[in-house]
Amino acid sequence: MLRRRQLLAAAATLPAPALAQGAAPRPAQIVVNASGGAMEQLFRRSYFAEFERRHGIRVVATSPVDFGKLRAMVESRNVEWTVTELGGQDFMRAKELNLLEPLDFSIIDLSRYPAAVRDTHIFPSSVYSTVMAYRSDVFPTGQHPVGWAQFWDVRRFPGPRSLRNHPVDNLEFALLADGVPMDRIYPIDMDRAFRKLEDIKPHITVWWTTGAQPAQLLVDREVVLASGWNGRFFDIARRGAPVAVEWTGGSLKQNAYGIPRGARNAVWGQHFLQIMTMPELQAVYATELAYPGLHPDTPNHVSAEVRPHLPTSPGNIEKQYWIGVEWWTQNGARAQERWNRFMLRRS
Amino acid sequence: MSSAVDRAAPARAEERRWVWLALPAVLFLGALFAWPVLRLLAQAVEGGTLEHLEKAVLDELYVEVLVESLEIALWVTLLCLALAYPVALWMLRAGPWGRALALFMLLLPFWTSVLVRTYAWMVILGRNGIVNRSLLEWGVITTPLPLLHNLTGVLIGMVHVLLPYMVFPIYAALLRMDPDLPRAAEGLGAPPWRVFQRVVLPLSLPGVFAGCALVFVLALGFFITPALLGGGRIIMISMLIEQQVREFLDWPFAAALSVVLLVVTLGAYWGLQRLTGGNRLAAG
Repeated sequence: MLRRRQLLAAAATLPAPALAQGAAPRPAQIVVNASGGAMEQLFRRSYFAEFERRHGIRVVATSPVDFGKLRAMVESRNVEWTVTELGGQDFMRAKELNLLEPLDFSIIDLSRYPAAVRDTHIFPSSVYSTVMAYRSDVFPTGQHPVGWAQFWDVRRFPGPRSLRNHPVDNLEFALLADGVPMDRIYPIDMDRAFRKLEDIKPHITVWWTTGAQPAQLLVDREVVLASGWNGRFFDIARRGAPVAVEWTGGSLKQNAYGIPRGARNAVWGQHFLQIMTMPELQAVYATELAYPGLHPDTPNHVSAEVRPHLPTSPGNIEKQYWIGVEWWTQNGARAQERWNRFMLRRS
Repeated sequence: MSSAVDRAAPARAEERRWVWLALPAVLFLGALFAWPVLRLLAQAVEGGTLEHLEKAVLDELYVEVLVESLEIALWVTLLCLALAYPVALWMLRAGPWGRALALFMLLLPFWTSVLVRTYAWMVILGRNGIVNRSLLEWGVITTPLPLLHNLTGVLIGMVHVLLPYMVFPIYAALLRMDPDLPRAAEGLGAPPWRVFQRVVLPLSLPGVFAGCALVFVLALGFFITPALLGGGRIIMISMLIEQQVREFLDWPFAAALSVVLLVVTLGAYWGLQRLTGGNRLAAG
């Protein structure tokens, strides 16, 4: 009895996560499934190292992210992953198909995260944004186009442009260019968006397909304005290309993680996700790739040079909107078909 | 006439006797090609509905893309033919060193990935690419030519990838030609143009048709090159199939589009074969 009371007393002095530890058996390892590559090395340096240090449980990394495999694992009740990344827009489907454990908010603290990304099952790991980038030698910063209405203004800002060959983001950009306020984008009025896209179509010399393309097109001066993922522009700007980013009207998106339903040691998955909320660790990742985690303090932990390049930094995040994942999950196929027709029409 | 038939009959019997040698290949293709294709066909009519096939053949979007894909494949075939025939003829006349060099140059691109070659063309053909910068510097043009991100770029890229498939069959057909035949024609006083038109060209036709069939069919299935060099403006049917498979997981509709593409391709092949009469293609 005495011993137990002593233990409880000791536990009371420990921080909350350590208390929860007492309840669950401690496995030798957990498995985190993600994209691999350079990302895995950054994870190893930050989240994995901290988790192993704090909980004494080894983290094993696997890849790639595979929605079909996740589904098969859950349905066959043989879940190898403790935590997995969820690709692109699969996270909504994963939740709809009931493939995920609910997040345990007594372990994971998301209270300071933006409301738009807080969810019962989907953990928002980091954020990226589709933004406008420009050649800063053609349009000196300060005299560059600000917002999509000015991207559409070919008289004031002449020169070839590039947008993605995909309806995602472009429908939103067209509506913003047409004067729709950011908080009124969804549900998207497709007729209006495509009408507006017709105006810019003759000035788009390249509809890009791969994420590396818009950055390369700007470097080669193939175009002077382009949409693209902020990390790609960060990378070329850091290597000296005269390319800068305008955040106004950027389209914020989250990368997502989840705990597969029926995962062994799911509790430790919750603890791992809690480690992923730590702003100091999110800063390691953000400094290399400019894809920060969503803790509001993360920008304070990166150097002053990197801070303006993060989509979540104060001054940047307010200028952007969160993409309507739900709208796209429901209307994606229809929008794509209409997009194909739009691309096919010669004009 | 009758003697030709007499000679053909035992030859055919001979063929039949050795047909079992093809068995491993037939089994291989049956298991890894015919069976999956049948499964694909089945998926297109999954659930006993013709809805997917109907959409694939009636919706103007897919019809238009298919027609455009056929047009592009045809253009690529004609351009390859125009470029390949002189090369094959030259290889026939060239000495051993010239021939080795030509073979080397034709095969070199084969050892490079299509993606790398496509990116190389982006460097060469771009607004600030090698071609445009040189022409601007020499004063030949005053504004950059639109060579990339349009049909021109796609055709250049595709012809580059597919050219060897045209040169080799034609070269093989020319090699099989009895060199005494053009010589005899010359000896009988035919001018060079006449020799080509009446002797060399007809004898090389099986190679020409084989090359055309190969290039046309391969061109129809292209998607990386047109996606990157077309700047998004060129849509080929295989790009739409990939979209359905990967992005929307609508496999029945992807299967329906594939079936349409397969039928059209087989139809084109059959038409070409009819046009050239019988087994020439196979012989090429």
